[in-house]
Amino acid sequence: MVTFSDWLCARSDAELVALLSHRADLASPSPSTLLSLAARATSRASLQRATTALDAAHLMVLESVAVLDSLGEIVTTERVVAAIAAEPAIANDATTIPTLLEDLTDTALLWQSHPGIYRPAPGIEETLDAYPAGLGPALLPRDGRPDTAILQAPDAPAGARAILAALQWGPPVGRIPSASDSPTAAAIGWLIDRGFVRQVDAHHVMLPREIALDLRSGRTHRGLPPAPALPEPTLTQATIDAESARAAQEIVRRVAEVISTWQVAPAPALKAGGLGVRELRRLAQQLEVDELTTAFVVELALMTGLVTSDGADPASFAPTVEADEWLAADLPARWAALASAWCPSARAPWLVGSRDDRGALRSALEPELHRMWVPRLRSELLRVLAQAPRAAVHADAVVAVLTWRSPRSVPPHAAVVALLREANLLGITGAHSLAIGGHVLAAAPPLTVPDDATRLALAGSLTQTLPEAVDELLLQGDLTGIVPGRPTPELEALLTESTEVESRGAGVTVRFTAASVTRALDAGRTADELLTELTQHSRAAIPQPLDYLVHDAARRHGQVRLGVAASYVRVDDPVLLAGLVDDPKLASLGLFSLAPTVLAATAPAAQLLTALRERGLAPAMEDPDGNVVYADLRAAYVRLPTRRGRRAGQHSRSVDGSPERALSAPERTERLRGLVARLREQSHLTQARRTQGAPSLAAIPAASGTGGGPGTSDPLVALGLLREAAADGREVWLDMVGPAGGITRRRVRPLRIDAGRLRAVDVARESEITVAVHRVAGVEHVAESD
Amino acid sequence: MSDGPLIVQSDKTLLLEVDHPLADAARRAIAPFAELERAPEHVHTYRLTPLGLWNARAAGHDAEQVVNVLLAFSRYSVPHALLVDVAETMSRYGRLQLSKHPVHGLVLTSTDRAVLAEVLKSKRTAGLVGDRIDEDTVVVHASERGHLKQVLLKLGWPAEDLAGYVDGEKHPIALSPTDPAHGDSPWEMRPYQEHAVDGFWHGGSGVVVLPCGAGKTIVGAGAMARSGTTTLILVTNTVSARQWRDELLRRTTLTSDEIGEYSGARKEVRPVTIATYQVLTTKRKGVYTHLELLDARDWGLVIYDEVHLLPAPIFRMTANLQARRRLGLTATLVREDGREDEVFSLIGPKRYDAPWKDIEAQGYIAPADCVEVRLTLPERDRMLYATAEPEDKYRLAACAPGKNALVSQLVAQHEGEPTLVIGQYIDQLEELADHLGADIITGATPVRERQRLFDAFRTGEITKLVVSKVANFSIDLPEASVAIQVSGSFGSRQEEAQRLGRIMRPKTDGRTAHFYAIVSRDTVDQDFAAHRQRFLAEQGYAYRIVDADDLTVG
Repeated sequence: MVTFSDWLCARSDAELVALLSHRADLASPSPSTLLSLAARATSRASLQRATTALDAAHLMVLESVAVLDSLGEIVTTERVVAAIAAEPAIANDATTIPTLLEDLTDTALLWQSHPGIYRPAPGIEETLDAYPAGLGPALLPRDGRPDTAILQAPDAPAGARAILAALQWGPPVGRIPSASDSPTAAAIGWLIDRGFVRQVDAHHVMLPREIALDLRSGRTHRGLPPAPALPEPTLTQATIDAESARAAQEIVRRVAEVISTWQVAPAPALKAGGLGVRELRRLAQQLEVDELTTAFVVELALMTGLVTSDGADPASFAPTVEADEWLAADLPARWAALASAWCPSARAPWLVGSRDDRGALRSALEPELHRMWVPRLRSELLRVLAQAPRAAVHADAVVAVLTWRSPRSVPPHAAVVALLREANLLGITGAHSLAIGGHVLAAAPPLTVPDDATRLALAGSLTQTLPEAVDELLLQGDLTGIVPGRPTPELEALLTESTEVESRGAGVTVRFTAASVTRALDAGRTADELLTELTQHSRAAIPQPLDYLVHDAARRHGQVRLGVAASYVRVDDPVLLAGLVDDPKLASLGLFSLAPTVLAATAPAAQLLTALRERGLAPAMEDPDGNVVYADLRAAYVRLPTRRGRRAGQHSRSVDGSPERALSAPERTERLRGLVARLREQSHLTQARRTQGAPSLAAIPAASGTGGGPGTSDPLVALGLLREAAADGREVWLDMVGPAGGITRRRVRPLRIDAGRLRAVDVARESEITVAVHRVAGVEHVAESD
Repeated sequence: MSDGPLIVQSDKTLLLEVDHPLADAARRAIAPFAELERAPEHVHTYRLTPLGLWNARAAGHDAEQVVNVLLAFSRYSVPHALLVDVAETMSRYGRLQLSKHPVHGLVLTSTDRAVLAEVLKSKRTAGLVGDRIDEDTVVVHASERGHLKQVLLKLGWPAEDLAGYVDGEKHPIALSPTDPAHGDSPWEMRPYQEHAVDGFWHGGSGVVVLPCGAGKTIVGAGAMARSGTTTLILVTNTVSARQWRDELLRRTTLTSDEIGEYSGARKEVRPVTIATYQVLTTKRKGVYTHLELLDARDWGLVIYDEVHLLPAPIFRMTANLQARRRLGLTATLVREDGREDEVFSLIGPKRYDAPWKDIEAQGYIAPADCVEVRLTLPERDRMLYATAEPEDKYRLAACAPGKNALVSQLVAQHEGEPTLVIGQYIDQLEELADHLGADIITGATPVRERQRLFDAFRTGEITKLVVSKVANFSIDLPEASVAIQVSGSFGSRQEEAQRLGRIMRPKTDGRTAHFYAIVSRDTVDQDFAAHRQRFLAEQGYAYRIVDADDLTVG
């Protein structure tokens, strides 16, 4: 009899490589033998993973095969087509199903015991739903199989058929009405008596698998689920790209604004490591967007590595050195950096403001704000969007497609909504449709940090869609200025420094105010420089009011001067101060003259007092009101604050969960080929040993290399063998570790393995036993001759 | 991407480049739905507001037209979200309709039950509506028509008013073909006045905005002639009432018997009655004693002069006049109290608006040169100012003694030209009048004396006149060509514009008018001046700023 592992060993090298590349978890860490590969492929974790990745159609075929197989049917392609394909109208199903079967075989979720006869991989049924295909468990051997013909008999109660019809397509469990004298209750009683349904407890009945299948005329499903349709194209690519370019400019500007704000005043972090609500709100006001968008902007800056926590105690967020490089780049390059960082990031900014399990508010930038499934969802989202070019795609459509694609892991609706919003804010989509930059990202290998070529392509895509930069400023008599387009970087810098922006969009409206001009003067420009620069950008002459404003602001600028001093000396008689400033002995005090009767010093007052006393003057200290205070020098005593804060370094955890750069596709295939070759070699060795008379498959030394005594085995291989035996209903020799540590060997027929337990029938004692899996020391096939 | 004259910003402002060859076409296309916000020399700013879009709907434009206009004239691609928003906003109009029901009178009906349910649930509509007739219809108290419309507007579901207007009592009025003041020479309305009258008449009710001196009275007369019914005209003061009367006698076939004045002095109710806001809002023992005027006749048209000054009680009275045609006239629809919206919802939307500079370019108003003269306060005054209480600062700065000398200097420069000196503070004005040897008009001056002085000024008998804020509005002094403002009521934009308006009647010799604002440097006076000038600056009147010392040299 052929087993799953035999089948697997018989696969060609190419097929094995395909399997390993489809189910990556089988290849890492590398299995040592083909047999352990087979065991791993049937392990619950791996099967779960593989079935999770299946789309609705594949899953349906798998279910169908599993269900039919469980009833002992011989499952051929024709049988599956008959079980699934709907009305002849959807003839498509009949042609699709063979392909689906083949796909499932390639991924070793199905295997062929004989050519053309499909069987589910051992352990599949445990990973499927409790009621696969809406079918209940099979009849017990002791139950008789009723004849469905009697349903048509005149004495059958009226409700009986209706009840069966309700249960037939699942779920197969029905509730017994509480009123025991109702006609329904009577009908149910009749059905129970004739064995159509089985009573599972006081209140419920269940329709057994075989009967349901009979009622369905041998069908397991009602046709393959059609893939949900994506919206039709309604937009022009120009509209989409223009929207995306607009968003791209905005997001880059906002991130730059966060950097320029935090480089002056880093934002204090909360103890838990995030950005406080108040801080976020302040930033939101400054950016003129809502808090959720602000959270995304700062998170994006974090993903891109432009800001980080300084790790100090207390910690605060500030720009990184990379920010300088980013700021120096041009707009498309900056945007490409943001978009490339967004794609593979595991951060989940939309959770900001929600509460975690302990009821604590989640804050932006906090280290825990990442989810491992987010990068996958991001890339899936992009690929879905890529399939609906020029169509406005909303969350419901995306969720429908993703649900069809992997019914066993449906993404949270809220996350899809949030990610679509992020894509729109980032300009990856425009008007809810993928822009060309987005198509570039969607075409890049998923889950990896985009390489330089991708980044260049991204930057190129934005360069293409951005409107031509304008270097012209229209200055007007009402002190406003207008750039009729996207300002060039130099013009933008000039305007940022010397004006208040009133309105942004395709063009920019700015207003010159006394405050804004003063700001430019503070930054080190003179009035004439500013006017010259403005003239260079302006078509007409500077309007007189603006000229006046700038000169007026310059006139007032610097009328009030201030400086830094730690203490001062004040006298009534200037003679007393003579020579003090120039005295080299007093140089350490940093004395300088402010007025004939006033000196200021950089040294603290106490030091000044001592020095002047030593010099023979009789200084007295005064308070701000001019009252003399008597030398209380306690202020000068040295005290150090004790540190009660947290240990330094506690904030140095990495806050970003973005993955490493993965191998490229050809590299991976190459690696898998090497692996298959090694496995094959191992397998030949085994074959050789087998022919030499080694009776036990399981006795092959496992990767652990412990080898030695009988019954020791790689636990994975042992479990694999047990699963296989359970699926085939075969008997094996089971070595169990007893309570005292000794090993007992029993001949058993395994029934089921789940939740760490093996249920098996002890053949010699004819009783069922349950063994904890960790007590299984070894498994051996029972030779045909036994 | 076309090379259009329009840039559509995400914040719903539209920038129109005036020097562009298509600028005029674009202006005409966007005028029905966008509000002109600023009109300086190079780029005019329009804004899309829900109110503007709804008015466009009311005037028969649909969202598709608006979107097409934006797409056609825009230089860059138009933000998608904005287009969606325009369509969404415009679709809100007309889901509710006010109409006449043969049995129940005025009713509010809905084409969308959810909307009706939403507005009826609101606390604001409580008491304005009566019984529900069926799922889609609810009775409206006739007296609350205006109030309800206002509330619905605030709730974001503006009602389409299909209830129409009462016809009013017929009274034939026609424009006189000749102008008796100019030797009976024939005259016609200017093109923009015709447009304004047309715009108003098609819209039913609304506001016409025209610069000072552009002949708003004639627009009023034109509307009366079109209506041909008895008319109630509400004006700011008695002098203005007399001017209206004179102008109507000159421009229409009305005789003096047909025009009545209803003011503090006289109480005449005639087919055309001119009443002052003041008399209508007079209260005796807590009740408005002259309210019955509103119902004294079956008025077919109510004209509000200077709607930007409409006092709050008049707003409330107007709410009850929704069944009559209403025309609002103003030069400056900016209110420092921000109640422009109430003007729009109670009197009606803006039906016609022309940038000042456009009218100037057509030669219907005089070109004006606006100069801000900055006076540096002497040391002593600066110290006094620096230590003054905040509430006294403006008065101190505005009444700086140095201003007197400057005024005489300016008056001397324009010797012989009719000159007005305008200010806020009576003490300051009296001092100035003394200093200049000129006559003065304040609130205390009797009406007879005022008219005598104005007449003397008009005939050129006197060339200098010092006036307080009584001359801010509606005083027609055609030949005045120089105005010197020494102080004002803080940062009032419309006051500044109205004062400029005093000198904007076109001069017979085409002279440029001069407007001087004297401000004290580095004081709140300067800050207020900057705010006051904003309306005019946005209309394209760029102020030159000169130092008082430079003025001496020049």
